[in-house]
Amino acid sequence: MSYENNNQNEFQELADWVIDQTKKAGAKDCKVNLSKRRFVEINYRDRKPEVIKEATTQGLNLQVFINNRYASQSTPDFRKSTLAGFIADVIESAKIMEEDPFRTLPDPKYYAGRSTSDLQLADPTHSDLTPEERHIMAKKVEEGCMKQGGSKVISIEAGEYDDTSDEFVKSSNGFVGANRTTQCWTGATMTAQDEGDRRPSGYHWVGCRYRADLPSLDEVGEIAARRTLDLLGGKKIQTETLPVIIENRGVGRVLGGLQDPMWAGNIQQKRSFLADKKGQTIGSKLFTIQDDPFLPRALGSKYYDGDGFPTKKRNLITEGTLNEFLVDWYYSRKLGWEPTSGSISNLIIPPGNRSVEEIIKDMDRCLLITDFIGGNSNSTTGDFSVGIIGKLYNKGQFVQNVAEMNMADNHLKFWNKLVEVANDPWIYSSARLPSLVFDGVVVSGI
Amino acid sequence: MKPLSRRKFIQNAALAGGAMLFLPELEASMLLDKQTSGNYFLKEFGIDQNLCQKLLAKALSKGGDFADLYFEYSVMNYLGLEDGKVNRSYGDISLGVGIRTVKGDQIGYGFTQELTEASMISAAATAATICDLKAAPVRLSLNPLKTGNYYPVAINYDGIPANSKLPVLQSINQKCFSLSPEVVKVSAGFLSSAKRILVVTSDGVMAEDLIPHGFVYASVAAERNGKREQSFYNLGGHRDFSFYTDDVVDKVATKAVNNALIQFDAVQPPAGEIPVVLGPGVTGILLHEAIGHGMEADFNRKKTSTFSNMIGKKVAEPFVTIIDDGTNMNLAGSLNVDDEGTPGQKTVLVENGILTSYLHDKISAKHYGVEPTGNGRRQDFQNYPIPRMRNTYMLGGTANPEDVIKQAGNGIYVEDVSNGQVKIGEGDFAFYVSRGRMIENGKLTAPIKDVNIMGNGPKMLTNIIMLANNLEMDYGGAGQCGKNNQGVPVSFGLPTCLVKSLTVGGTQQKGGQS
Repeated sequence: MSYENNNQNEFQELADWVIDQTKKAGAKDCKVNLSKRRFVEINYRDRKPEVIKEATTQGLNLQVFINNRYASQSTPDFRKSTLAGFIADVIESAKIMEEDPFRTLPDPKYYAGRSTSDLQLADPTHSDLTPEERHIMAKKVEEGCMKQGGSKVISIEAGEYDDTSDEFVKSSNGFVGANRTTQCWTGATMTAQDEGDRRPSGYHWVGCRYRADLPSLDEVGEIAARRTLDLLGGKKIQTETLPVIIENRGVGRVLGGLQDPMWAGNIQQKRSFLADKKGQTIGSKLFTIQDDPFLPRALGSKYYDGDGFPTKKRNLITEGTLNEFLVDWYYSRKLGWEPTSGSISNLIIPPGNRSVEEIIKDMDRCLLITDFIGGNSNSTTGDFSVGIIGKLYNKGQFVQNVAEMNMADNHLKFWNKLVEVANDPWIYSSARLPSLVFDGVVVSGI
Repeated sequence: MKPLSRRKFIQNAALAGGAMLFLPELEASMLLDKQTSGNYFLKEFGIDQNLCQKLLAKALSKGGDFADLYFEYSVMNYLGLEDGKVNRSYGDISLGVGIRTVKGDQIGYGFTQELTEASMISAAATAATICDLKAAPVRLSLNPLKTGNYYPVAINYDGIPANSKLPVLQSINQKCFSLSPEVVKVSAGFLSSAKRILVVTSDGVMAEDLIPHGFVYASVAAERNGKREQSFYNLGGHRDFSFYTDDVVDKVATKAVNNALIQFDAVQPPAGEIPVVLGPGVTGILLHEAIGHGMEADFNRKKTSTFSNMIGKKVAEPFVTIIDDGTNMNLAGSLNVDDEGTPGQKTVLVENGILTSYLHDKISAKHYGVEPTGNGRRQDFQNYPIPRMRNTYMLGGTANPEDVIKQAGNGIYVEDVSNGQVKIGEGDFAFYVSRGRMIENGKLTAPIKDVNIMGNGPKMLTNIIMLANNLEMDYGGAGQCGKNNQGVPVSFGLPTCLVKSLTVGGTQQKGGQS
């Protein structure tokens, strides 16, 4: 990783100054986070630019620790003349807080051991991207969508977004971290004419750290159109219990309801149904989840977490057994546990051997869930309920598109129903998860 | 108030970058009406008429129908209580200007966090790139806008002592624990913000506003026989500190505790299509999701809403009237002026069952040849405005609430909801019922929780078959509506209302199969 850019040099000097001033103003410890982001966003509709947006944003966050009292504030203003007043305000804010013996910077021993491998978080050619190329990207995606959507198209919005972000973090007790990341996204949202007044919208957006990793732009547009056309004629079916397949890109939505109660803050606050489940079976043998921060170019890869702890590859759930909670520094002290990390990098479920198409061929009546709408998950009880959209199959044959339906269960039962993992991890997200097959799920409709 | 001292920040800003803009001789040319609109951005940042004209001229230098400037200075502060102590303070300062050039329905947008002339001119040049013409020089006359005041501020948050909010949270904590020995954890928070904006438009409007916003909440975990339940309750809106009295503390604590305890007895309703009675108040989120979004004019202008061809047509029974209103006192969605300089106002969307208007910003109003309705809103200066709801509600009917429940026969009664979402083109929506009751033989019986309700907005609207005479608004401040990655505060309201049938999610199939 390289820190050789002007922002990082400017950040380092400013961070040192802020830490020095904050300690002089009375803080025992402090941590400063500086960031700057340059982004461009272009959207096309009806073959002309609808929105062109471009700007640079910056922010300085200062956390202050004074005798176990804590405050954190952010400002976009980097001028030292204004920061002096800002620092005084943060310190005054901390002083009026009640004392909390658990509130400190982490023990510096936990900062050691950071990976030195090159995670390739920033595309060295990113700055070569010209305004013209951005327009061409959006136009190509729109064209691909238009061609595939044909006469059903009511409206297409296609776009390109990219940014470069620099971050520099330094604490008064020895943590220093710096990062440059880039990302480039493109995709389209199409609205199609359906029966009566129904106008379903479908979308397909993909993003990568390196622009060269994006798939064919025509294909991105075509998939957006295909996914929209797949919504036509969507209707609810009867309320029943049947196997469901959650498409790869949607798995993270349901998994999030299991991730929240794994966080130490929810455990300490008695809002976790997993609090007493460590070491126990909470899913089927096929249910394995890893947190892998070291995948080159992946959107969730990182060297350190929010506490400054070096990231580690870890097995959160192995063959259905809950191995590890997400324990940050503050709640580790409250719980009296060793800290792990309170945040996730890339979520991985090891892929299986078959594609969704192959799996469906072997199934009787089953529902492929392609999107979710609304819903929630209760971290205290594990109950969840969420609206679903998808496609109904029977013995491998498409039956109908499905809309206005709901799926509900309890996480402690649901993950035990996992019967197959497909071979198609969704790579355009930090939740790099494959499609999953569950048996015996209640879906409600008519 | 010390946590986020605006005064200190501003003084420092004026001494540094602001000094180069603040020219004393421009004071006389200031147009803002000190009595009605204030002159905050002139005094603190030197944003005067000449500078605004220069920026608008740059934004229109390559053509365009109109341009606008949106200056923002916001200070947010959050205090949190956990395990009996107010032990965390978070703050954020937002300062900058967003500059928009509009040509037809095309938008060029640039923004900057530095209120220096060079930086602002650069942002205006970015906005101008949406056009490619040679434009004549622009000379504008700017006039201050007179508006109503739907959230008067007696004392701004920076005018109160820093530690005066702590007792509010400590009282909530004590009250929650005093209400039940089954309460095992309480967390509470107090969010407050003061947002100052100045909108200057190429059609001659100059409008300034101060928007106080915030809420207090309690989150409670309770335990009974080894089983745990949780709840959350908040009160707030566009209000200053004087709102947060002992009565508010009592109500927040009592509701949070009672809502958690009742969950221990909750059952799952049968899954499938059943009659649904929406209780008054926060259930108005149904209107917001199922109907309101589809009436935002950008979706209709692009023909992506299911209501695109419905103006003047019957969309509900004659007793249904739906309003989106920016003029309610202190509600979270109220606006003295919207974010593109249109005064706050009330818009009737459905009158006696007929769809009468969409919710317009300037772009859609021009498209449809109507006046803007004051719905052009944005999250902050980093985003351009789009049509958004404000406070959306349905007028009450004539029935007694008890009669509406009786009419339902067997179904569910919804008391509290969250996490609503809609698919605009299909009209399909979902929202999560966090608290409610079974209705059996026309009477409220066992509590229910944690089920989703699905439906189709236009269909649901025609399926409203009975309204009670008890319209209530939601007085929470935590509610945010998300659209195009922008969050804005909103409120909603509903009288007790019977919907013939909606799909209720759950694990209990009719007939008892689980």
